[in-house]
This record gives sequence, C-alpha cells and structure tokens, in this order.
Amino acid sequence: MHATTLRSPPALAPVRRGFVRRNLPYFLIAPSVIMLLALIAYPLLFALKSSFYFWNLQVGPQPLAFVGFDNYVQALNAFDFRAALTNTLILSILGTAIEFSLGLAIALVLLKALPGMNVVRALLILPTTIAPIVVGFLFRYLYDPGGGLVTWVLQSLALPVPAEGILGSPSTALAAILFVDIWQWTPFFAIVLYASLLAVPDEIIEAARLDRASAWTILMRIKLPLIRRTAIIIVMLRFMQIFNTFDTVLVLTRGGPGTSTRTLGYSLYEQGLVNFNVGLVSAQTWIAVLIVNIIVALYVFFAFRNEEW
Amino acid sequence: MKSRTTFYTALTYAAGLLFLAVFIGPILWFLALAIRPAETAFAMPPQLTFEPTFDAFRHILVDPGTNAPQLVNSLIVAIGAVLLNLPFSVPAAYALSRFKLRGKKNIMLWYLGLLMAPPIAFLIPYFVLITRIGLQGSYFSMVLVLQTLTIPFSVWLMKSFIDEVPAELEEAARVDGARWYTIMWRITLPIVRPGIIVTSMFAFVFAWNNAAFPLVLSSRSTATLPIGTLGYFATSGVTWNYIAAAAVLAMIPPMIIFLVFDRYVVRGLTFGSVKG
Repeated sequence: MHATTLRSPPALAPVRRGFVRRNLPYFLIAPSVIMLLALIAYPLLFALKSSFYFWNLQVGPQPLAFVGFDNYVQALNAFDFRAALTNTLILSILGTAIEFSLGLAIALVLLKALPGMNVVRALLILPTTIAPIVVGFLFRYLYDPGGGLVTWVLQSLALPVPAEGILGSPSTALAAILFVDIWQWTPFFAIVLYASLLAVPDEIIEAARLDRASAWTILMRIKLPLIRRTAIIIVMLRFMQIFNTFDTVLVLTRGGPGTSTRTLGYSLYEQGLVNFNVGLVSAQTWIAVLIVNIIVALYVFFAFRNEEW
Repeated sequence: MKSRTTFYTALTYAAGLLFLAVFIGPILWFLALAIRPAETAFAMPPQLTFEPTFDAFRHILVDPGTNAPQLVNSLIVAIGAVLLNLPFSVPAAYALSRFKLRGKKNIMLWYLGLLMAPPIAFLIPYFVLITRIGLQGSYFSMVLVLQTLTIPFSVWLMKSFIDEVPAELEEAARVDGARWYTIMWRITLPIVRPGIIVTSMFAFVFAWNNAAFPLVLSSRSTATLPIGTLGYFATSGVTWNYIAAAAVLAMIPPMIIFLVFDRYVVRGLTFGSVKG
C-alpha cells in the first residue's frame, strides 16, 4: 500500500484542476479570437448600420437620413455595379480554372526529375512573391501602347493590337487583367501541386503502370484523387483572392474603359474612398459578403462532404 | 527507345526554358527599367543594352525630397505586424495543436474564413474609426489592421509546425512535474523555433506586400513602398524609373525570403495544409 503511493508521481494524477487549468486551451485561443472579432465585427456592424442611411462624407460628416433598403436597391439596379459583379465572376471562375490547369501541367513537367529542373522550380515561385500593386505596374509597363514589351511582341508576331492599347480597348482590357492574374498565380498552383504530387507514393504509380494504365488514366484516377484535399483548399483560397481583386485593377485600368474591367473590389474602393458614399458602399459590402459566403458555403458543403478534418 | 527518351528530355528542358521566359522574363525586364536611362524605357524596338544609371535609386533612397523614407516605413509596418502577431497567434496555435477541444474544426474554419473577407470592404469603417480615435496616419493603425490577415494565417501555419513536435517530449516533462507553461516555453517553443521564424517571415511578406490598408490609413510621412509607387504614378506625368526603383525595393525582400525558405514555401502558401 505504502509502496504504491510512492510509485505514482503526483503530476500524473491531478486531483484538483482549477478553473484556469480546465479551460486553458480556450484562454490561449481567446486573445486571438477577441482581437479578430474586434477587427472584423466592427466593420461589418458599421457597414450594416450605414447601409440603411444616406450618408456621403462629401456632403456631411454624419448620416443624413434613414433610407431603409434604398441603398441595396440602388446598388443592384446600378449598371456599373452589375457589370462589376459579372466581371468579378468571370475573372474568378476563369482565372481559378486556367491557373489550376496550367499549374498542373507545369507541375507534371517539373516532376520529370532532370538535372537543373529544381532551379526552374525554385525560380518559378517569384511572380507569386511580388505585391499585386507592383505586378500592376510591371504589366502597365509591358502593355504600354507606345513601346511596351507585350505590345511589341504581339506586333512582331503580326497579331492585331488595338490602336488605343491593350488596356485601352474594352474588348481586350478584361482579358489583359485576367492574364496578369494568371501570370502571377499559375506558379503558385504549379509549385503547390508539384509538392503534393511528389508525396504520392511511387509504388501506387508503379502498380498502375504494370497494369498497363495510360499516363492519362494514372493522372485522373490516381494522382488527382490523392491530392484532392490540397487542391480543394488552394482552389478555394485562390477563388476568394481573385474575387477580391482590387490593387491590380487600380493600377492597370481603374475599372475602365467604361465598365469593362470594373471588379467588385474596385467598385467598393471607388464608391467608398473616392466618392465617400458610405451608405451605398456599405450596401455593396454586404451584398459582396453575402455572395462570397453563399459561394464558399456551397463549395465547402460539396467539396468537404467526404473529408475528415 | 533511346532517341525517344532523348526527345522527351529535350522537350522537358524546352518547356522549362519557356516557363522561365514567361514567368521570370517580365521581372528581369522590369528590374532593368529601374537602372535604364529614362529615354530608352519605351524605345521601339526594345533596347537590350544601355548605360546603367542609379539616379532613380538615389532619388528614392538618398534624396527622397518631400517623400518620406518609404523603405523605412515599410520595414516598421511589416516588423510591427510580425511582433504584434506572434503573442496572439502562437498560444492559439499551441492550444489548437495540443489540446482536445470541442468545436476545434469550427474554430479552424473560422480563422480560414476570415482570410476570405474582402479587405477593401472594411477600409471605410476602419477609415472612419481610426479617424475618430485620432490614429490616422500612425504606424500602429496599419499594424493593428494587418492582424486580420496575419493572425489567421499564422495560427494555421504555426499549428502545422507544433503538430510535428512529438507529444512524448511534453509527456516526459509532465511526468517530471513541469507545468504547462514551462513545457510550452522551455520545450515546445524552442523546438519549433524554425516554424516561428518561417511564420514570421510569411507574416512579414503579407504585411510588406499589402497596399490596401496603407492606401487608406497611412499619411504622407508614413506611406509604405507600394503607396510610394502609386505616388510616383500620380504626380505630373509617369516617372517610370522612379516607379521601377521603388517597386524593385519592394520586390526584393519577399523574393529573398521565398528563395531562402524554399523548403517551407509550399507549407506557408497553403496555410500548412500540405506538409512540405
């Protein structure tokens, strides 16, 4: 009896656990959650309240009148806001799809472990490291109608370049913005997909090869399903990032010409920080937040249905 | 069969070169703009050779004139964001990694969801709030608001590093009677020091590259480098060599960080969801 008591160390049998100790994990998480709530909840509630008022900082420092849902009606009826919605959806869906496909193709090339290819892989990440606003300037220079490299290359290949420049023509401006995003983020998909494909065990691939499975079948039936989880997460993150695109548009086109490159992000910037139309921009914010949440909720529901976290 | 392999090898190298030309070529061309004599910037056909000049860098760094030292501002904001970030995100990551929690998945998804909020949508409220409490143009307002990006990201990334520390080490210390904070402070954190460094580096890059928050919250004297490039863009005609010089200064640190931490880049970019 006496011996048993001696052998059990006190730390293994904590008889009394205090309030703090019992809730310790929550105390450790709380500061970050409180900080984030303070930083996020304030803007959201602020925008919710303001969205029901006519409030323009150029007219007066305080909200002028309660207008109910007028701001929402005005936003949804406005031609430029609807154009922004359409452009944003085009950019984010096409952008994510193209970047994923191109990135996967590049990843498969990188997987051919030839000497020197690791240098290519290491350098390839560089576009992703550059601030979007700087990428905007980089491409503004390349697209310049009077001597930009892209313009020059297109002309040298005898391809048609609009007289008002690639960014100046409504028919090419959105594609030019899309191209910038593809240039910056395809390497991101390439590197991440490359790394996750590396982790696919060789034995599985070998076994499939012995069964005379074609390279295409191996890719679609074995490799892609095995990197599914990573793919789901990066596609989601990327989609949301493009959805919020603003910096590159600001530098490249300011939403123009007309409304051809207007995005939701740029629309929020212009209404809020150029026109200071607080009421209207708050309504737009909530419309954007709702759309984003619906898309993400649907995506998470379908994509994560069979995933264990 | 032999020639077939040679053909594919050549094809692979050709593809590799094409990737470099498409993705790295434009960067090099832009780097050259910063040291180009202004009159050759838009020469047709493009001039590959030129007499390099460092006037633009001199203007940006040594003689900023009315423009404040934006390089220093960028450093203050980015380092500030990292320092404020760690005390909030490291304990949270430790708790999420080490303890059984009700609703853990929901908490993790909540952090992830915050990363998707459109930052631009929050700028007006922040602008109004910061002006009301008189912090407009301060470094602190930028550092504080940047936490909406850096805390969620750091929690995810740090958790993936702490997950890898074997629980047995902590068990052993617990058997010896160590308290949880001794264990965290003396055992776990020293082991995950590389993880803390990598997380800090990523938070640094996020803060360094962010243009949206400083655009609204900075003043002329606290403007960061991305805002500096916008400034050169707006003033009397486009001074391309100044833009390029400021942009190059803004590009270099993240590039170096990503190349140095190559091993961890994938993990960082995917918020730790892929162990790399």
